[in-house]
This record gives sequence, structure tokens and C-alpha cells, in this order.
Amino acid sequence: MTKVSKVVGITGICAAGLLALTGCGASTAGAAQGQAFTPKGDVTMVVPFGAGGGSDLSGRAIAAGLEDIAGVNINTENREGGSGAVGYASFLAQDGKPDHLLATETAMLALPLTQDVPFTYESFTPIMKLGDDYTLLTVSPDSPHRTCEDVVKAAGSGRVVAAVSGATSLDQIVFTLIEQEEGIKFDRVPYESGNEVVAALLGGQVDVISVNPGEVLGQLEAGTLKPLCALADKRYELEALKDIPTASEQGIDVSFAQFRGFIAPGNITAEQKQYWIDAAKKFEQTDGYKKYIADNVLQPNAVYGDDFKTYLAGNAEDLAKVLGK
Amino acid sequence: MLDNLMLGFSTALTFENLLWCFVGVLVGTVIGLMPGLGSTTGIAILIPLTLGMEPVTALIMLAGIYYGAQYGGTITSVLISTPGEAASVVTTLDGYQMARQGRAGSALAIAAIGSFIAAIISLALLMALAPPFAQFALNFGPVENLSIMILGLITVVSFAGGSMSKGLMMVTAGLLISTVGIASGFSQARFTFGNVNLLGGIPFVEVMIGLFAVGEVLHQIRVGAAAPIRARFKDMVISRKELTNSMPSIFRGSFIGFLLGCLPGAGSTLASFLSYGVERRFSRNKHNFGKGAIEGVASPESANNAAANANFVPTLALGIPGGGTTAVLLGAFTIYGLQPGPLLFEQQPTLVWGLLVSFFIGNVMLLVLNLPLAPVFAQMLRIPYAYLYPIIILTSLVGAYSVSNNMFSVWLVVIFGLVGFFMKELDLPIAPLVLGVVLGPLLEKSLVQTSALGQGNFMIMFQSQISVSILSLALLLAVGPWLIGRFKSTPSDAKELTHV
Repeated sequence: MTKVSKVVGITGICAAGLLALTGCGASTAGAAQGQAFTPKGDVTMVVPFGAGGGSDLSGRAIAAGLEDIAGVNINTENREGGSGAVGYASFLAQDGKPDHLLATETAMLALPLTQDVPFTYESFTPIMKLGDDYTLLTVSPDSPHRTCEDVVKAAGSGRVVAAVSGATSLDQIVFTLIEQEEGIKFDRVPYESGNEVVAALLGGQVDVISVNPGEVLGQLEAGTLKPLCALADKRYELEALKDIPTASEQGIDVSFAQFRGFIAPGNITAEQKQYWIDAAKKFEQTDGYKKYIADNVLQPNAVYGDDFKTYLAGNAEDLAKVLGK
Repeated sequence: MLDNLMLGFSTALTFENLLWCFVGVLVGTVIGLMPGLGSTTGIAILIPLTLGMEPVTALIMLAGIYYGAQYGGTITSVLISTPGEAASVVTTLDGYQMARQGRAGSALAIAAIGSFIAAIISLALLMALAPPFAQFALNFGPVENLSIMILGLITVVSFAGGSMSKGLMMVTAGLLISTVGIASGFSQARFTFGNVNLLGGIPFVEVMIGLFAVGEVLHQIRVGAAAPIRARFKDMVISRKELTNSMPSIFRGSFIGFLLGCLPGAGSTLASFLSYGVERRFSRNKHNFGKGAIEGVASPESANNAAANANFVPTLALGIPGGGTTAVLLGAFTIYGLQPGPLLFEQQPTLVWGLLVSFFIGNVMLLVLNLPLAPVFAQMLRIPYAYLYPIIILTSLVGAYSVSNNMFSVWLVVIFGLVGFFMKELDLPIAPLVLGVVLGPLLEKSLVQTSALGQGNFMIMFQSQISVSILSLALLLAVGPWLIGRFKSTPSDAKELTHV
């Protein structure tokens, strides 16, 4: 008995060790230089945030879509830390390697503006912007406010408490833009995620929030929260959201989106860049892309390569006005 | 209600769902065993593999991983003083002492039994009362959370066993460590010295692995306890007396765990620490705590499992995740084309009740799996330390790397391993430091929020009835034993006091 169980014990531990080892299997780099480029060997999709978050979902959706198109394995690797800074900083080390990609979003622009980090968006090669995630200004159903204008007026004459999900988050930026546009002040309470912000509004701790529609669809349907306006250029096409007016319809000229997309390392060749852009364009036609956009309630404004870079430049300029050191 | 239960059973008892439930709890146990690899990461990685399944089947499996990991995390805590999950940290205090005394089998068995009973209690509450509980939990804003954190910290200080000042010192050290990185609600970086790896702060998983696993191995090498534990098989089976003694602790732990688990964010780690603190003060056997008291394993293990189940209260009833793992599960809902939110119970009764009933079935499976395996796992300690230690060190370092695929985490584990070694040399308690690191960011967040809500005036804490009740409880815990000691004229006789 003793002998048998000892063997069981040892194999148990060995199996545990082995599993842990394979769990973090590193990717193998197979950089092919020059001529018409096709990736050889495995490709790595870096996600600069933890597993299960918004970046992780987009990274894995892109990886799955590109895998079929490129005919190679694309391994998703979460390199979290420093609110995304660690992932982007380590991506600098992949300079010139076309077999590495990174699932990007607004942190790429916000981090260099607020922290001492060794990169800007110009350190990398932008490939594709998948779409835009706007926010809805939302209140509780028993709130006296009926429009975004009501909220602005209230904030002009008294205290309106707004929950924000982070120091450089989309809602923080949107509230600042409204303040700058209308010359008013919100009283902010900082939270750390969209879910916490929704809970704070449901619990009556705050008066107003500005959230991604994907985070409140269920609440809107149940009538437990009331949307006032979308801080977007145009209304959503989705049935459940199409009756929500934009802020500019209500006289507040504010619209700001968080983008999602993917980039390649800096200094890759023109052929390599073109290869990923072509693959990304094919990805836009797949059901995987459409499902991702629908599941996360994005506006599908795909942009590629240099156009994406131009977009980033403009976006960085807008952000600097809000977050500038 | 009965109709719903029948619907749940008819969904959960299909062959396919039973099979995947089993796979889930098994994989969960293995994931819980690995230091560093938590259920959150495990589930996130496995979601893509479930895309071809029916949504209810996929969620049954993923949820199985979640509560299975709670069982698995216990095994390494008890055997080698290496918590697999933060919620198992406190289990090491008495569980590991039991193992050193050759009672690892009993510790593992009571953990499995406690977790099972907690699961049944919390499931019954979840099924009957999820929506009202969820509504009540919404009343817990920053002010109330701040009070809970204060209660948690006061409880923890007493963990130091003999010395309260040592406990206080270590909690403070933990809180200081937690201030590294970008401050909550601001964009200023603190104590990062220009290192991007430190922007996000010092993660507690690395601290935990270093202090507990590596620190303990270094300490054992220093004291040179080379003889493996020679326990007879008979001693590995839990006795009836141990079981009856643990029952009150299991019930108390279950209720504390369920209540804290309902609150979005508070989580199972705090539940395990709080319930341990409560036992330490109120259990009949309190003078044995820290020296291998079985109640010290029974209560936190019941609490963390109850909290894991209760996390589903806000998740299913409101569409707001109760913790990190349920947040990932909610993400999965969307991928399967389900809309989480207040209408889920009405719109998806098959899914909700099937899932809830599968928790029950999964916990039965875990009990059947873990009870006979407890003595077998305990036999692991017969492996000579010359083989066991290198395996622990290797698993710790690999586990640390797998947290974020970054060598920085490995160095953190090495550094905190050395810190842990010296703490043991100086007889400083480790658990308060870890809880300081875990609670620090939560405490700071609610402090900043409370300050913002009260516009700088903390009197706002006394305007909420919930907050006042919690603070009174904290005060009672802090000065209660001292007061009792004053009224009893023989404060030295601790055994007498337990009957008050």
C-alpha cells in the first residue's frame, strides 16, 4: 500500500510540474526576411492585459480569425502588468520581427502621456483598427434627469457625482471633454472597472456614469438603468440602442471612442506590413469579426495601416488635451 | 421553486453535462494545485475550447473549474505550506502544522467536508434568495466597503498568535508594499523607480509564493528537519471527534463566507481570513490555533467555498461579477450569445437552474473524489525532503513565470522567498503581511472613494447604518476580549474565558 501510494504521489507531482511547464510554452521565433512575406512557424499575439479582460477577448478573436487566413498557429500570450505598460515595453524587444502581433487599445496612447514609459505609438507598426467603443451617459430610472443637457445644467448649478472607471479610462476622458466644452465640473469618484461603475449607479452611490453599451445591455433591457445620450458621432444601429440620441443632438458637441485593433513591431519591411494588412482585410469579412463586433457592441469602423496611424496621431492629440502632463 | 429545481436537475443530469461537470472539477482541482495558476486564468484560457459546446454545458464545466480550484488550493497549503490560491493562505496556518504532526489526512478531509457543507448551505441560500441578496448587496458602496476592510484588518492583527505588535507590524508592512505602483484613481506612479514592471504594483501571487513556498523550504533547510513524516495510515483518516468538533466552525465559516461572497469585490480571500479570525476568538479550542487546530482549517475552507458560490449571487441576479473569476465567466456569457443582466433568471431558466444544480452535483463529485484521496495525498509527505524541496522550488518558479510570462515575477518570488526566510528566523508572522498586500489596494480604493463621496469629510461613514454596524463589530472584536478579561478576575486562565 505504502509503495503504491508513494508512486502515486511522485507521479502526481511530476504531472503537476509538467503541466505547469507546458502551460507557459514560449513561442518560437521564425523571422523570415525579405521578398514576398508569409509567416513561417508560430505567430505570437501579445495581450498587454490579463486573461479574461476586454483586450484579451479582442486579442483572442483576432488571433482565431487570422489563424485561418494565414494558415499558421497564433498563440495568445498575456503579458500583464503596469496597466499595459509591461506588454507594450516588452513588445519593443520584438523590433523587426513580423511574427509578433499585439492587441492594442487606448492605453498605447494614454500611457506615454501620463507615465514615464519607453514607447509611443510611433515605436510600432499599426495594422488594423477593428472598431470603436463609445459610451452612453446613463442614470438611474428614478433620476430627475431626462437628457444629457439636464445633467449638464445640474452640474452647472449644484453637485453631480460621476463614477469613473480609471484615471485614463474612456469615461474619465468623456467627462473631462464635457466639462471643457460646457464649462462645468463633475464631482468624480474613482472606480477600477466598468462593472464597478455600473454597480455604484445601481446602488445609488453616484448620480451618473458613462459606460460602454456592452456593459449595460442587460440593465437597459430590464429597465434598471436609463440611457440619456450616446457620446458618439452617430447613433447605434443596434435595435436596442437606436433610439438613444447622440450628445450633439442634445446640444453637447462631445464624442470620443476607445479604439481596438492590433499592431506589429516597429521596423518590419513593407512586404511584411502589407501581408498583415491584407490578412486583416480578409478578417473583416469573416463571421468571427462580425460576431466580435456584435458581442461587444462596437461600431465597426475598420481602418488599416497608414490610415490607422493617422487616426492614432489625431487621437493622441485629443488625448493630450485631456490627460496632458 | 420546485419546478425550477426539477428543471435544473433535468438539465444538469444529462450524460453530457455530468461528464463535463466532472472534467471541470477535475481540471479545477489540478489548477488549484498549481501555485500561480489561479481559476481566473485557467478559465480564461479554456473558454475558446468550449465554443462548440452548448452554453449551459460550457458554463457548467467552467464553473466546475472555479469551485474545483478551491478544493485543489487546499492540498498544497496543507502539505507543503504553499497556497495555490489567495483564499487558501490562511489554511496554511493550522493545516501545515497539522501536516507536520502527521495529521495531513485529517486536515485535507475536513477541508473537503467543510467545503461540501458550505457549498450545500450557500447553494440553498443562492437558490432561494439570490435576487433579494443581490439587491441588498448593492447597498454596499465605498463607505460600507471601507468599514469591512477596517474589520478585516483588525481581525488579522490577532493572527500573530502571541504578539499583537508583531501582527500589526506585518499588516503595516503588507500595506506599504501594496502602495507601489499607480495609485488608485490617479495616474501618478509611486515607488516604481522608473521600472515599468512596477507600474502595476507588486502582485500578491508572487509575494505569496515567495513568502510561503520558497521561504518555508529555505527555513526547513536551515533547521535541518530531514526526517520525512512517518505517520501510520490509520492516523491519516479523520476521526469522529475531529469531525464533531469542527461542525460549529464549518457552519460559522459557511455563513460568513456566503455574506461576504455576495458583495461585489469583497471576495473569498477576505471571507477566509475573517472566519479564521472569528474562530480564533470564539472557538472552544482557540488556544490551539496556530499549532494545528482542525477548526483553523475547517472554518476558512468552508468560508472560501461558500464565498465562491455566493459570488454568483450578483453575477446571475444582476449581471455584475462578484469577483475576478466570475467577471471572466460573465465575459463568456456574451461569447455564447447570452445577455447577462437582471433578466437572466426569467429569460434563461434552463441555464440558470441547470448551472445551480450542477454546483450541487459538482460538489458531491469533489467530496467523493477528495475524501478517499486525502490519505493518498498525505502520503506524499513520506517523500524524502531531498526530493520534495527541489520540486517545490521548481514548481514555485515555473508557477511565478506563468502568472504573467515575465522573468520579473520570478525575481520577485526569489526576493520574497528570502524575505520569508528571514521573517521565519525572526519569528514574524507571514499571513498578516500577505493580507496586507491583498487588502491594501482595496482599502486604498475605498478610502479614496469615501473621501470623494464625503468631499473630504469622513463623517459620511457614520451616516450609513450598515457601516456603523460593521464598525461597531470591529470595535467589539478589538476590545471585547480585553473587556471580558477585565470583568473576569483571572485573565491568565484562557480556558475559562472560552465559556463566557
